[in-house]
Amino acid sequence: MMETILQVAISGLLVGGIYALISIGLTLIFGVTRIINFAHGELLMLAMYTTFWLFQLFSLDPYVALFFVTPLLFLVGLIIHWMVIQPILGAPPLMQIFATVGLSVALQNGALLLWKADYRTIRTAYSTAVVEVGGLFISVPRLVAFLVAMAMAVALFLFLKKTPLGKAIRATAQDRRAAMLMGVDVRRIYLLSFGIGTACVGVAGALLMPVYYTFPTVGTYFVLTAFVVVVLGGMGDMMGAFLGGLIIGLVEAFSGFLIATALKEAVYFTLFILVLLLKPSGLFGMGRGAEEVGLK
Amino acid sequence: MSIRGAVRGFGDPGFYVPFTGLVLLALAPLLIQNPFYAHVGIMTFFYAARAGAWNLLGGYAGQLSLGHAAFFGIGAYTSTLLYVTFQISPWLGVMTGALLAALTALIVSYPCFRLRGPFFSLATIAFAEVLRILVIYFRDLTQGSVGILIPFKPGLGTLMFRGKTPYAYLAFALMATVLGTTLLIERSKLGHALAAVREDEEAAEALGINATRSKLFAALISASLTGMGGVFYAQYILFIEPYSVFALDLSIQLALVAIIGGVGTAAGPILGSSLVTPLNEFLRAWLGGTYRGLHFFIYGCLLIVVVILMPQGVIAMVRGYYRRLLKRLPGMRKDIPSAVPEAAPKAEVREAPTPFSPSPLLLEGRGVIKRFGGLAAVNRVDFSVREGEILGLIGPNGAGKTTLFNVITGFHHIDGGTILFKGEEITNLGRPHKICLKGIGRTFQLVKPFGNLSVLENVTIGAFCRTEREGVAKEEALGILELVGLWTKREMLARDLTIADRKRLELGRALATKPELLLLDEVMAGLNPREIADMIQLIQGIRAQGVTLLVIEHVMAAIMSLCDRIMVLHHGVKIAEGSPAEVAKDRKVIEAYLGEEYLVA
Repeated sequence: MMETILQVAISGLLVGGIYALISIGLTLIFGVTRIINFAHGELLMLAMYTTFWLFQLFSLDPYVALFFVTPLLFLVGLIIHWMVIQPILGAPPLMQIFATVGLSVALQNGALLLWKADYRTIRTAYSTAVVEVGGLFISVPRLVAFLVAMAMAVALFLFLKKTPLGKAIRATAQDRRAAMLMGVDVRRIYLLSFGIGTACVGVAGALLMPVYYTFPTVGTYFVLTAFVVVVLGGMGDMMGAFLGGLIIGLVEAFSGFLIATALKEAVYFTLFILVLLLKPSGLFGMGRGAEEVGLK
Repeated sequence: MSIRGAVRGFGDPGFYVPFTGLVLLALAPLLIQNPFYAHVGIMTFFYAARAGAWNLLGGYAGQLSLGHAAFFGIGAYTSTLLYVTFQISPWLGVMTGALLAALTALIVSYPCFRLRGPFFSLATIAFAEVLRILVIYFRDLTQGSVGILIPFKPGLGTLMFRGKTPYAYLAFALMATVLGTTLLIERSKLGHALAAVREDEEAAEALGINATRSKLFAALISASLTGMGGVFYAQYILFIEPYSVFALDLSIQLALVAIIGGVGTAAGPILGSSLVTPLNEFLRAWLGGTYRGLHFFIYGCLLIVVVILMPQGVIAMVRGYYRRLLKRLPGMRKDIPSAVPEAAPKAEVREAPTPFSPSPLLLEGRGVIKRFGGLAAVNRVDFSVREGEILGLIGPNGAGKTTLFNVITGFHHIDGGTILFKGEEITNLGRPHKICLKGIGRTFQLVKPFGNLSVLENVTIGAFCRTEREGVAKEEALGILELVGLWTKREMLARDLTIADRKRLELGRALATKPELLLLDEVMAGLNPREIADMIQLIQGIRAQGVTLLVIEHVMAAIMSLCDRIMVLHHGVKIAEGSPAEVAKDRKVIEAYLGEEYLVA
C-alpha cells in the first residue's frame, strides 16, 4: 500500500514539474503584461509539433531538438507580442481576452489544417525506459523532463533575482510606471517577458514529446491546468506557480487514484474555482490575487 | 405609447426599415427550397439567437462568459433525457431546460460575479468543463461520451419535423425572442443599470443600482435563452454528445459571433451571424473533410483582427451608412428641437433656512470609527447635518474626509459608532445602492463618468433611481441637464467632456436620484475661477430646491462663501466646528493647515 502511494506521488510530482514549467511561463507573462494569454497552450502545441517533425524528418532526438525549439518559441513569442499583444496592452477586458482567444482558435485550427487531427507520438530508445529505486519504478524520460524543468525554473529564478535585466522585469511587474521612471524600457521588457514566457513552453514541449503525444488541441488540456496552477500559486507569482505546478500534479495523480481517473480534471477545476473565490491570493498567499481578480 | 405616437412610430424609417428586414427574413424559409441553403438559413438564425443570448450577459452586462456551452448543454440534455426516458414532450423540456439553465446560472454567477474580467472568464470555462466531465462520467444517466440519439418521431408534440421549414421558423422564433428581449431590456431600467455597471460599478451603486442583482438578472435571462437554444439543437440534429454541446469551442463561437457583429448592441449578433455563419457553412460544405480546420482558422484570425482593429464590431462600421440611409427615407423625424424643452422643471424655490435656525437633524453620526489596518482614518467622529443647510467638510490631505463620505454612503463598513439618517439607523447597511435609495446622493473626488455613454444617458441612469419608465427618466434627465448647464452637450460622450463639465455631469447624475442629502467631494478642484463661480451658483440653486448638502472642498474662498457651517477634520479627528468665521479664526485649524511654526511665528 505504502509503495503504491509513493508510486502515485512520484508520478504526480514528475508530471507536476512540467505543469510548473508551463505555468511559470504563463504567470511571468501575466505578471508583467497583465494579460492572460489564452493561447499559451497552443504555443506548447507548436513546440510539441516542432519537436515531433524534427524527429520525424531529421531523426533529431527531442533532447537535442530542445536547443532548437526553445529559441524558436522565443522568436514566435516576440512575433506574437508584436502583432497581437502590443495593440491590446491596457485595452478593455473584452479586447484582451478575445484577442488571445482568437489566437488560440487560429493556431489550433491552423495545426488541424496542416497536420490533421491524428495523435502523433515519437518512439525513442528511452521512451519506455524505467529505473528502479528501492522498489519504485520511475520512467526515465519523465524523470529527465522533471529534472530539466526544475533546472530551467531555477535558472529563470536566478536570472530574475540576480541579473539587471531580471530585476528590470520584476520591477516592471510590480509597478510599470515606477519602472519607467527609473529608466526601464518597459516596452522592451514586455516583449522580452512574453518571449521568455513562451520559451518556457518551448522547453516543456520538447520534454513532453518522448512521453506524450501531440494533436491540435493538446494545448487546451495543458493550458487549463496551467490556469489552475497560476491561480493556485497566486497570480503572477513565480515561486507560487512552481509549487502550484507540483501540487496540481499530485492532486491530479491522487484524485485519479482515489476517486476516478475520469474525474481528476473535475477535481482540480473545482479546486480552481474555490481558490479563485475563497483565496485569490493563492494557496501560499504570495500573489497580489485579491485586488487582481476583483475581490477586495 | 399613444395611438398617434404608434402611428408615427410605424412611419418612422428607424422602425420600418428593420421591421421590413425582419419580415423578409421571416418569409425567406418559404422561398428557399434547396435543403442546404435552408440549413444555412437555419444555422444563421440559430447562431444569431445564441450569440444574442450571450450578448445579454457578455455585451450588456460586460461579464465575458466563456462557459455558455454549459447552459446550452443543460438545455439539450434536460429536454432529451426527459423525452428519451419519460417520453415527456420537448415543449415541456424547453421550459424545464431553460429553468434549470437559469438556476445553474444563479448558483454559479453569484460568487463568480465578484471576479474581474479575465478571471470571470476563466471561472466560467472551469465550470463548463466540470459539467462536461460530470456528464461524461455519470453515464448511467447520460449515456456518457457516447451521446444520446433521439429516435425520430415527427410531430408537433415531439418537436421533430421532416422538412427544414418548421425548423427554420423555430430558429427564427428563437432569434426573434432573443431580439425582442434584448430590445425590451435595452429600454428598461435594467438595461440602463447594466450599462452603468459595465462602465463603472461603484458609480452605478452610488446611483442606487444594485449591481449584483442587475448582473444576476442578465445572467438568468441569458442562460435560459441559451438553454432553449440547446433544446432546439437537440431537436434539429437529433443527436447530442458532451463534446459538442459542452465544448469550450462552442462558448467561444457564441462570443465571437456577437463580437464580430457588435457587442452590446441588439442588432450586433444578427449582423455577426449573417456574416460568419454562412461563411462557416459554405466553407464546410465546399471543402468537406479535406481542409478541416480552415474555417475555424479563418474564424480565429477574424476574431483577432476585429478585436484589435474594430472592437465595436462591424456594426460600428455600417452604422453611419445606415443612419444616412434612414435620413433619405420618407417619414424621418427631424432631430430633437434644439431649444430648451418646456418641460424643464423650474427650480422650485424654497425659502432657504437662515443659518443656525434649529431645523431638524437630517444626518447624524455618533462616534464613527473607520480603521484601515492599524490606522484610524476616521476616529470617533460625531457629526450632524441639519435639514436645508450646507455643511462644509475641510481638512488637510489625508484628514479622512473622503473616508467619512465612503462611510456614510456605504462604500466602507465602519468599525464603530452609528449613523442615522432622518432618525433611522443606516450604519453598515451593506451596499451603497441602499444608501442612495434612502435619499443620500454623492459625487466622487475622482469623477467616474460612464465614459462610453452620452451625457444624457449618464443622467438618465441616475433618474431611473426613482422611476421605472424610460420616458419619465429621460424627461427628468433633460431638466437636470438644463439646470447644470449641460443641455447643449447632451449627445456628447461623457469621456469627451472637459473636467469642469465632468464635475457638472457627476453632480447632475447624483441630483437625478432625487437625494434629500447630497454629498459633494471636491467638485471645484481643478476648475478655474470663472467655473468655480458658476459651480457655487449651481450649488446654491440646488440648495434652493430643498436639497441639503455636505461639501468637501479645498477651495477656501468657495467654502467660506458657500457654507452655513464648517467642520474640520485632521488625522481622522474632528478638531473644530462652527460658522466659517469661527473656524477661520480657530487656533487648531490654522495649526493643522499651516503647521505649528506658523503659529509660533
